[in-house]
Amino acid sequence: MNIDLSPEAAEYGREALRALEAAGGDRLVQRAEEAPWSREKVLAPVLREIGAWELAPREDADDLEAAAALCRSAGYWAVAYPVAERLARPAGLDADGLLVVDDTAPEAAVAGLGLRWAAVTADGRRSDAVARPPDAPPRTSAFVTGLDLRPIDEDGARDVALGLVLPCWTLLGMLDRAIDLTRAHVLVRRQFGKPLAEQQGVQFQLTDAEVERSGVEMLARYTLWSVQAGLPEALDDALALRLAAVEAAEAVFRTAHLLHGAVGFCDETALSWVSRYSQPLRRLPWGPSATRDRLTRQIGRRGLTGLFRDTEVTA
Amino acid sequence: MGAAATELRGELRGLVAQHVPPEYLGAFTDDPADLETAQEFCRILAERGLLCPAWPEEYGGRGASVWEQTAVREEMWAAHEPRGAQYMGVNWVGPTIMRHGTGEQRRRHLPPIARGEVIWCQGFSEPDAGSDLASLRTAARRDGGGWLVSGQKVWTSYATMAQWCFLLARTSRGERRQQGLTIFLVPMDDPAVEVRPLGCLMGPHHLNEVFFDDLRVTEADVLGTVDQGWKVVQEVLAFERVGIARYARCEHLLQAAPEVLGDAWERLPGELRVRWARMLVHCRRARLLAYRVVALQDEGRVRPGDAAAYRIAVTRLDQESAEVLMDIAASVPREGEAARRFRAEVADHWRYSHASTVASGSIDVQRILLARALLGAS
Repeated sequence: MNIDLSPEAAEYGREALRALEAAGGDRLVQRAEEAPWSREKVLAPVLREIGAWELAPREDADDLEAAAALCRSAGYWAVAYPVAERLARPAGLDADGLLVVDDTAPEAAVAGLGLRWAAVTADGRRSDAVARPPDAPPRTSAFVTGLDLRPIDEDGARDVALGLVLPCWTLLGMLDRAIDLTRAHVLVRRQFGKPLAEQQGVQFQLTDAEVERSGVEMLARYTLWSVQAGLPEALDDALALRLAAVEAAEAVFRTAHLLHGAVGFCDETALSWVSRYSQPLRRLPWGPSATRDRLTRQIGRRGLTGLFRDTEVTA
Repeated sequence: MGAAATELRGELRGLVAQHVPPEYLGAFTDDPADLETAQEFCRILAERGLLCPAWPEEYGGRGASVWEQTAVREEMWAAHEPRGAQYMGVNWVGPTIMRHGTGEQRRRHLPPIARGEVIWCQGFSEPDAGSDLASLRTAARRDGGGWLVSGQKVWTSYATMAQWCFLLARTSRGERRQQGLTIFLVPMDDPAVEVRPLGCLMGPHHLNEVFFDDLRVTEADVLGTVDQGWKVVQEVLAFERVGIARYARCEHLLQAAPEVLGDAWERLPGELRVRWARMLVHCRRARLLAYRVVALQDEGRVRPGDAAAYRIAVTRLDQESAEVLMDIAASVPREGEAARRFRAEVADHWRYSHASTVASGSIDVQRILLARALLGAS
């Protein structure tokens, strides 16, 4: 694996970041909440313009890297639209996107979109999925709604890893943003006669959050490589990434809220929005406890590949 | 890492299996045979060009990549560092002398390190200068054409067995405390140097006090420029921070646990197996953060924030994994060589893990360095 995304993928990610900023940036999620029906209308052209749906992440390694970079940029602006899920669309099924779901309570943040979905459970059972009409406003639901499933086949084992990994890149973008926002806030916010950034207690909390974020960044890159290479342990790796990402999100957002103080809860700050819309990614298909449990069952007694098991990690 | 590093791993594992007794837990135990094992193993590595593979050939290396050097660090730490104290000479003393030493210093010091013949210790910490290293008091005062060094160092690893000391002392007082510090390369067998061992959690023969009583040094012993030692020290610490692949031993022991427990693995509390799985994720995370630093080194670049982030992650891993492993080891049957060996390794790992958030710059110093990178804080 390479430590960084390819220069082309990184540049594509920056291009996507700029395009989404030009389309509204932080206002995108606010407008989605005010007018849920406008999401497709506002975002689809922007994503089409940057060639999002021309990417073939299952077929082309470069496209997979570009897709990951795009998801990260979408997360940075907390775009309330299933970019990662659409990019993970399955091959051979008539669907616009793929949702990895919990088999007992299938849900996803896809309310109010006129898209056709396929769903896959962790053990590879695939279904047509129809989003139920939302039963709560997006302000409280973050567009999460129940899914009605109609079984198709049990051939989705290879879909699961990709379907887990790309949303982790979206969550990584949210962690990037939370750190950036908090960094900017503590540099200007003065208390006790000096910027918060000069308080060592503040510095240490921010550094610990940054360690969590940067760890997810490295694991996300590694796991993308695992999926690209079609490694047999790609699902182990995807669950490991998801666990690190949801645990990091808990730590990063807790710190970001604490260091923002009360203003961080107020909708005048972007943090309030990013934090709210990180929830579906952190809870679905499984929250931290269920992810830990699934990873433990998945790897059994063999553990993860690495220095002392099977496939050698190459960098 | 590439094929060369993978091949190197195989070679190193073969040498460890052949030359390091299974019960070896480091060079600093009560058994003098352990030190001899380490010294002999260094000579074996040196004969094969594996002790300092990334060094230039002219200094006894073979010009291997930083990735091969990383593989060596990982394999050695996972096997309880069979190079003993010599890893310091390889990891940072030698490279620092290469960069800042005179021709004579290079000729004198680098070949013995590359041949696996010499142990160095680091004369930095003092009773009142731990993390706040610049407040050190050991002083070198001018005397004729040289200096006389007096003062005390403490928590000095391997001082009882070292032939040389990489000594930091104050030679003048500048506007800032970081000014006026000088590095001296001094012999430990001088009568003006006294070493007193300290008993410690990590076992005997590890930490020591070192006293200097008018140790005479000359210009020829100065590394770099007089009064400009602080900059070199920063480099040393940067080398040192990625010098120990702590994640490799954690991963080695965590991966070994299910095999050692056999059928008993499934009877462990589910919560403990969940903690085990989580630690494996953290091993991977720490390793990848290390690789980010190594990749930059490979390009001749340094980002202090990245090195600090790695150190924070890996030292936490070291301690958290030690607790998980101790919990697992309590369920390991008492019978059998593999079980006995595993319990001993885990106990050793647990003891050493206490030092990981302190050694080579405490975790709070790493937080300060990362905060500087993030915030531009002083």
